[in-house]
Amino acid sequence: MVDHTDTDSAALDRDVRVHVFHHAAGTGRVPISSEVATALGRSRAEVEDSVQRLAADRVWFLAPGTMNIWAANPFCAVPSNFRVDALGRTFWGICIWDALGIPAALRADAVITTRCGDCEAEIMLEVRDGALVRGEGVVHFAVPAIRWWENIAFT
Amino acid sequence: MLLFRSEEHIDRWCGFRGLPRGGIMSPEQCWRLAQAWYADKLSPDWRRKTLDEAEAILTGIGLTASFWRLRA
Repeated sequence: MVDHTDTDSAALDRDVRVHVFHHAAGTGRVPISSEVATALGRSRAEVEDSVQRLAADRVWFLAPGTMNIWAANPFCAVPSNFRVDALGRTFWGICIWDALGIPAALRADAVITTRCGDCEAEIMLEVRDGALVRGEGVVHFAVPAIRWWENIAFT
Repeated sequence: MLLFRSEEHIDRWCGFRGLPRGGIMSPEQCWRLAQAWYADKLSPDWRRKTLDEAEAILTGIGLTASFWRLRA
Protein backbone atom coordinates (compact mmCIF):
# COMPACT_ATOMS: atom_id res chain seq x y z
CA MET A 1 0.00 0.00 0.00
CA VAL A 2 1.33 3.43 -0.91
CA ASP A 3 1.61 5.97 1.86
CA HIS A 4 0.42 9.10 0.08
CA THR A 5 1.64 11.38 2.86
CA ASP A 6 5.19 10.15 2.41
CA THR A 7 4.90 10.31 -1.37
CA ASP A 8 3.61 13.87 -1.25
CA SER A 9 6.36 14.92 1.15
CA ALA A 10 9.02 13.37 -1.04
CA ALA A 11 7.66 15.17 -4.10
CA LEU A 12 7.51 18.48 -2.27
CA ASP A 13 11.02 17.99 -0.88
CA ARG A 14 12.31 17.39 -4.38
CA ASP A 15 10.55 20.52 -5.71
CA VAL A 16 11.87 22.63 -2.82
CA ARG A 17 15.39 21.28 -3.21
CA VAL A 18 15.47 21.88 -6.96
CA HIS A 19 14.00 25.36 -6.59
CA VAL A 20 16.45 26.43 -3.89
CA PHE A 21 19.51 25.24 -5.80
CA HIS A 22 18.35 26.67 -9.12
CA HIS A 23 17.45 29.99 -7.53
CA ALA A 24 20.88 30.15 -5.90
CA ALA A 25 22.57 29.24 -9.18
CA GLY A 26 20.54 31.75 -11.16
CA THR A 27 20.76 34.70 -8.81
CA GLY A 28 23.66 34.12 -6.42
CA ARG A 29 21.19 34.33 -3.55
CA VAL A 30 19.79 31.47 -1.48
CA PRO A 31 16.01 32.05 -1.16
CA ILE A 32 14.06 32.16 2.08
CA SER A 33 11.09 29.89 2.71
CA SER A 34 8.42 32.46 1.91
CA GLU A 35 9.98 33.05 -1.51
CA VAL A 36 10.09 29.32 -2.17
CA ALA A 37 6.46 28.99 -1.09
CA THR A 38 5.37 31.76 -3.46
CA ALA A 39 7.36 30.33 -6.36
CA LEU A 40 5.96 26.83 -5.86
CA GLY A 41 2.39 27.89 -5.01
CA ARG A 42 2.56 26.12 -1.65
CA SER A 43 1.90 27.35 1.85
CA ARG A 44 4.77 28.75 3.87
CA ALA A 45 4.16 26.12 6.57
CA GLU A 46 4.44 23.29 4.05
CA VAL A 47 7.68 24.69 2.69
CA GLU A 48 9.13 25.29 6.14
CA ASP A 49 8.39 21.68 7.05
CA SER A 50 10.15 20.61 3.87
CA VAL A 51 13.11 22.90 4.53
CA GLN A 52 13.43 21.34 7.98
CA ARG A 53 13.22 17.78 6.64
CA LEU A 54 15.93 18.54 4.10
CA ALA A 55 18.06 20.15 6.79
CA ALA A 56 17.66 17.05 8.95
CA ASP A 57 18.82 15.04 5.94
CA ARG A 58 21.88 17.34 5.61
CA VAL A 59 20.89 18.58 2.17
CA TRP A 60 21.55 22.03 3.61
CA PHE A 61 22.27 23.78 6.89
CA LEU A 62 20.04 26.32 8.63
CA ALA A 63 21.22 29.46 10.34
CA PRO A 64 21.04 28.69 14.08
CA GLY A 65 17.63 29.35 15.59
CA THR A 66 16.03 30.19 12.25
CA MET A 67 14.27 28.59 9.31
CA ASN A 68 16.65 30.30 6.92
CA ILE A 69 19.09 28.26 4.90
CA TRP A 70 22.65 29.28 5.76
CA ALA A 71 24.41 26.99 3.31
CA ALA A 72 22.97 24.95 0.47
CA ASN A 73 26.41 23.68 -0.42
CA PRO A 74 28.17 24.79 -2.45
CA PHE A 75 26.14 28.00 -2.12
CA CYS A 76 26.39 30.07 1.06
CA ALA A 77 23.55 32.48 1.84
CA VAL A 78 25.74 35.14 3.39
CA PRO A 79 28.99 36.84 2.34
CA SER A 80 32.08 34.94 3.37
CA ASN A 81 35.84 34.84 2.85
CA PHE A 82 35.24 32.83 -0.34
CA ARG A 83 33.86 35.06 -3.08
CA VAL A 84 33.07 33.57 -6.46
CA ASP A 85 32.41 35.73 -9.52
CA ALA A 86 30.78 33.79 -12.33
CA LEU A 87 28.18 34.40 -15.04
CA GLY A 88 28.16 38.09 -14.16
CA ARG A 89 27.03 37.36 -10.61
CA THR A 90 28.64 37.07 -7.20
CA PHE A 91 28.34 33.90 -5.16
CA TRP A 92 29.76 32.91 -1.77
CA GLY A 93 31.09 29.58 -0.51
CA ILE A 94 31.70 28.53 3.08
CA CYS A 95 35.14 27.07 2.28
CA ILE A 96 37.56 26.68 -0.60
CA TRP A 97 36.05 23.30 -1.54
CA ASP A 98 32.62 24.88 -1.91
CA ALA A 99 34.02 27.97 -3.63
CA LEU A 100 35.44 25.68 -6.30
CA GLY A 101 32.20 23.71 -6.21
CA ILE A 102 30.27 26.70 -7.50
CA PRO A 103 31.85 26.81 -10.98
CA ALA A 104 31.70 23.00 -10.94
CA ALA A 105 27.94 23.09 -10.30
CA LEU A 106 27.34 25.98 -12.68
CA ARG A 107 29.69 24.53 -15.31
CA ALA A 108 30.92 28.06 -15.79
CA ASP A 109 34.11 30.08 -15.75
CA ALA A 110 34.79 31.76 -12.42
CA VAL A 111 37.23 33.83 -10.44
CA ILE A 112 37.52 32.93 -6.76
CA THR A 113 38.87 35.46 -4.34
CA THR A 114 39.86 34.44 -0.84
CA ARG A 115 42.52 35.24 1.73
CA CYS A 116 45.32 33.14 3.20
CA GLY A 117 43.99 31.59 6.40
CA ASP A 118 47.18 32.67 8.16
CA CYS A 119 48.35 36.04 6.89
CA GLU A 120 45.16 37.13 5.12
CA ALA A 121 46.97 37.95 1.89
CA GLU A 122 44.53 37.88 -1.01
CA ILE A 123 44.69 34.78 -3.20
CA MET A 124 42.82 34.39 -6.47
CA LEU A 125 41.97 31.21 -8.34
CA GLU A 126 40.48 31.04 -11.80
CA VAL A 127 38.48 28.37 -13.58
CA ARG A 128 38.18 28.61 -17.33
CA ASP A 129 36.74 26.09 -19.80
CA GLY A 130 36.52 23.45 -17.09
CA ALA A 131 40.14 23.78 -15.99
CA LEU A 132 41.83 25.48 -13.06
CA VAL A 133 44.03 27.92 -14.93
CA ARG A 134 45.17 29.92 -11.93
CA GLY A 135 45.69 28.17 -8.64
CA GLU A 136 48.31 29.12 -6.10
CA GLY A 137 48.70 28.10 -2.48
CA VAL A 138 47.89 24.96 -0.49
CA VAL A 139 44.49 23.75 0.71
CA HIS A 140 44.30 22.58 4.33
CA PHE A 141 41.59 20.41 5.88
CA ALA A 142 41.76 20.63 9.68
CA VAL A 143 39.22 17.86 10.30
CA PRO A 144 39.93 14.24 9.31
CA ALA A 145 37.77 13.00 6.44
CA ILE A 146 35.94 10.43 8.55
CA ARG A 147 34.56 13.20 10.75
CA TRP A 148 33.28 15.41 7.95
CA TRP A 149 31.90 12.38 6.15
CA GLU A 150 29.93 11.40 9.26
CA ASN A 151 28.47 14.89 9.30
CA ILE A 152 27.66 14.96 5.58
CA ALA A 153 26.23 11.46 5.54
CA PHE A 154 24.51 11.87 8.92
CA THR A 155 25.31 8.33 9.89
CA MET B 1 38.84 24.02 4.46
CA LEU B 2 41.03 27.04 4.00
CA LEU B 3 43.54 28.11 1.40
CA PHE B 4 47.00 29.17 2.52
CA ARG B 5 49.88 30.77 0.68
CA SER B 6 52.22 27.89 1.55
CA GLU B 7 52.74 24.97 3.93
CA GLU B 8 54.72 27.29 6.23
CA HIS B 9 51.59 29.39 6.61
CA ILE B 10 49.58 26.25 7.44
CA ASP B 11 52.08 25.27 10.14
CA ARG B 12 52.01 28.76 11.61
CA TRP B 13 48.19 28.80 11.63
CA CYS B 14 48.04 25.35 13.29
CA GLY B 15 50.75 26.26 15.79
CA PHE B 16 49.01 29.46 16.80
CA ARG B 17 45.85 27.45 17.56
CA GLY B 18 47.57 24.45 19.11
CA LEU B 19 46.18 22.18 16.40
CA PRO B 20 47.93 19.33 14.66
CA ARG B 21 48.44 19.77 10.95
CA GLY B 22 45.50 18.23 9.09
CA GLY B 23 45.39 17.09 5.49
CA ILE B 24 46.66 19.13 2.60
CA MET B 25 45.98 19.12 -1.10
CA SER B 26 46.82 21.29 -4.06
CA PRO B 27 44.27 23.71 -5.54
CA GLU B 28 44.18 21.43 -8.58
CA GLN B 29 43.23 18.45 -6.42
CA CYS B 30 40.60 20.57 -4.67
CA TRP B 31 39.18 21.58 -8.06
CA ARG B 32 38.93 17.94 -9.08
CA LEU B 33 37.29 17.13 -5.75
CA ALA B 34 34.81 19.98 -6.27
CA GLN B 35 33.99 18.81 -9.78
CA ALA B 36 33.41 15.23 -8.67
CA TRP B 37 31.36 16.34 -5.67
CA TYR B 38 29.24 19.14 -7.06
CA ALA B 39 28.91 18.68 -10.84
CA ASP B 40 25.47 17.09 -10.40
CA LYS B 41 24.23 19.33 -7.60
CA LEU B 42 21.71 21.20 -9.76
CA SER B 43 20.23 18.03 -11.21
CA PRO B 44 16.69 17.17 -10.10
CA ASP B 45 17.97 13.61 -9.76
CA TRP B 46 20.84 14.54 -7.46
CA ARG B 47 21.36 12.14 -4.59
CA ARG B 48 23.88 11.92 -1.82
CA LYS B 49 27.02 10.01 -2.69
CA THR B 50 27.47 6.61 -1.19
CA LEU B 51 30.44 5.79 0.98
CA ASP B 52 31.96 3.76 -1.85
CA GLU B 53 31.53 6.64 -4.29
CA ALA B 54 33.03 9.15 -1.88
CA GLU B 55 36.01 6.88 -1.28
CA ALA B 56 36.52 6.45 -5.01
CA ILE B 57 36.55 10.23 -5.48
CA LEU B 58 39.18 10.78 -2.80
CA THR B 59 41.34 7.92 -4.02
CA GLY B 60 40.94 9.08 -7.61
CA ILE B 61 42.53 12.43 -6.86
CA GLY B 62 45.41 10.85 -4.98
CA LEU B 63 44.16 11.29 -1.41
CA THR B 64 45.10 7.91 0.02
CA ALA B 65 46.69 8.75 3.40
CA SER B 66 44.89 7.69 6.57
CA PHE B 67 43.69 11.27 7.08
CA TRP B 68 41.35 10.84 4.09
CA ARG B 69 39.92 7.50 5.18
CA LEU B 70 36.13 7.46 5.51
CA ARG B 71 35.76 4.22 7.46
CA ALA B 72 36.97 3.50 10.97
